This record gives sequence, structure tokens and C-alpha cells, in this order.
Amino acid sequence: MSTITDQLLRRATASTFEDLAFLFPDDELSEAQANAPLDIAVRVEFHGPVRGRLVLRVSSTLMPAIAANMLGEEQAQYTPLQRDALGEVANVICGNLLPLIAGADAVFRLDAPSWPADRGSARGDDRPLASLVLGVDDARAEVSVFVFSGHELLDSERAVATGAI
Amino acid sequence: MAFNVLIVDDSAVMRTMIVRTLKLSGVPIASIHEASNGEEGLRRLHDEWIDLLLLDINMPVMNGEEMLTHIRADERTRDLAVIVVSTEGSETRLAALQAMGAAIVRKPFPPEILRHTILHVTGVTDVDYYGSVAASSDSLDF
Repeated sequence: MSTITDQLLRRATASTFEDLAFLFPDDELSEAQANAPLDIAVRVEFHGPVRGRLVLRVSSTLMPAIAANMLGEEQAQYTPLQRDALGEVANVICGNLLPLIAGADAVFRLDAPSWPADRGSARGDDRPLASLVLGVDDARAEVSVFVFSGHELLDSERAVATGAI
Repeated sequence: MAFNVLIVDDSAVMRTMIVRTLKLSGVPIASIHEASNGEEGLRRLHDEWIDLLLLDINMPVMNGEEMLTHIRADERTRDLAVIVVSTEGSETRLAALQAMGAAIVRKPFPPEILRHTILHVTGVTDVDYYGSVAASSDSLDF
């Protein structure tokens, strides 16, 4: 069963892929999508009432399509631009998610996207607050949100705890 | 009138996307200048004649709020038309920017939204003169 935070993450992720990259994610993964590797990762750290990190992992085969849809075919062939385009997708997902989970008055600072060498996301045994996998074209994307402090301040978690949602 | 535009955003990808969207918006453009942070943007404002500023918030060196504060404090630029283009979702922060005379466009955005906002902040009322948007967002050659 998905939590309200999972649902909010899905909403922010799907709308960003659709409106920014013109790609339409599927909730149900085909066999090809399920078998596609998650071999590229980008993360965005956020600081504010809560502190944490959003991690977007995708199949590398998806990178040219994201870049082409955002920048045009000519620019999409350059690997650094493909990477930057993915970083911007992660940045926009994070920017759209935070007010949904922390409230519209919360002020956050987002770091520039970074690319972890380990393609991973967490520190040690950190568990994500929310995580989802979506099928995109013949590949897949996984988005996870980790919160390291201020967890109790999240509107979405409070709503679940009080039974409001 | 064609606009001289300055785009200030630390993401080269987002600057490229804004330029593409700007060209598709149907608003006449005389020149487009770019900067990757607020400090660099202030230098461009000093060196070039700019009619419209498209400004990100989260940037290294000098962020968008700081740049806007400098702009409003300088009599040469205090009346500049400014549109904040950002993923920012904080009502508190957006209200502060609007209080400084900036319009807000949330990323991602289609050409129609950008065009409408540009005409609004620049005070251009003769919309017919500028014609329709060059292409609808779903017919872009992406």
C-alpha cells in the first residue's frame, strides 16, 4: 500500500516527466521496462525545515530521449548535456515535491544536482521516506526521497499520523 | 518594440530551454543574453541594455533574491521588468519576490504562459500586434 508521500512523489514525478521532458511514465512496467538497468543516478540535496535528498535513477538508454525532448535533437547527442538535462529533471521533481510534503510556507534551498560515483543514494542503511519506480519508454526510472532531519515537520506525515488522510 | 532579454540561471540546460520557449512564444526578441548567477547577471545588466530579466532563484555565488534586491536598489534598474522562473514552491518566498515587483512562472512552463507573463510585466497591451504564439506546446519539434 502506498503512503500519501508516495502518492505525492508520484504526482510530482509524473508531471515533471510529462511537462518538462514530454515523456509519459507508466505505473505498470512491461517486461522490458522491468529488466532495464538503473545505471545512472543523480541527486539533489535540500535544506530547510527538513533536510534530505532526492535521488533519481534511470536507465542510461533513456538519457538521449530526455535530452532530445528538452533541448532538441542537435544538442541531445552531447553526453554532458544529457547529464545536465537529467539533473534538471531531478531538480524540478524536488522543487515541486517539497511544498506538497512540507507545506506551501516552507522555504527550502536546493543544491545543484550531483552525480554520485556509486550510483547509489543512501548513507549506510538509510531508508527512503518514499520511493517509486515508473516505466518510461522501454526503460525505467526510480525516484526516492530521503529525509535526514525534521521528519516530524512534514505535512504529509502529520496527515497520515492524525488520520486526516 | 523588440525585447532585449537577460536570462540568469545556473543550469545551462534550463537557459537553453528558456531560449527555445522564448522564441516559440511569439514575443519579438531583439537580443538574448545569458548569465549563470546573480553576480554575473548584474554585470550584464551594467554592460547591456536589457528590457526584460528572466531570473532563477537557487543559484551559487549570488541567488535570485539577492540579485533582485540589488536591481531594485539601483536607480538605473529599479523599474526593470523581472520574471522569476523557478521551481520554488514556498508561498512565503514567492510573496517576497512579488513584493519586489517580480512576476512568477513555475517550471516547467509552456510558451503561452511565458508570453502572457511577459506582456503583463512589460505593460504591453497591444497583444494583437504581436500575433499568436509561434507554435503550440504540443507541436514543438522536440
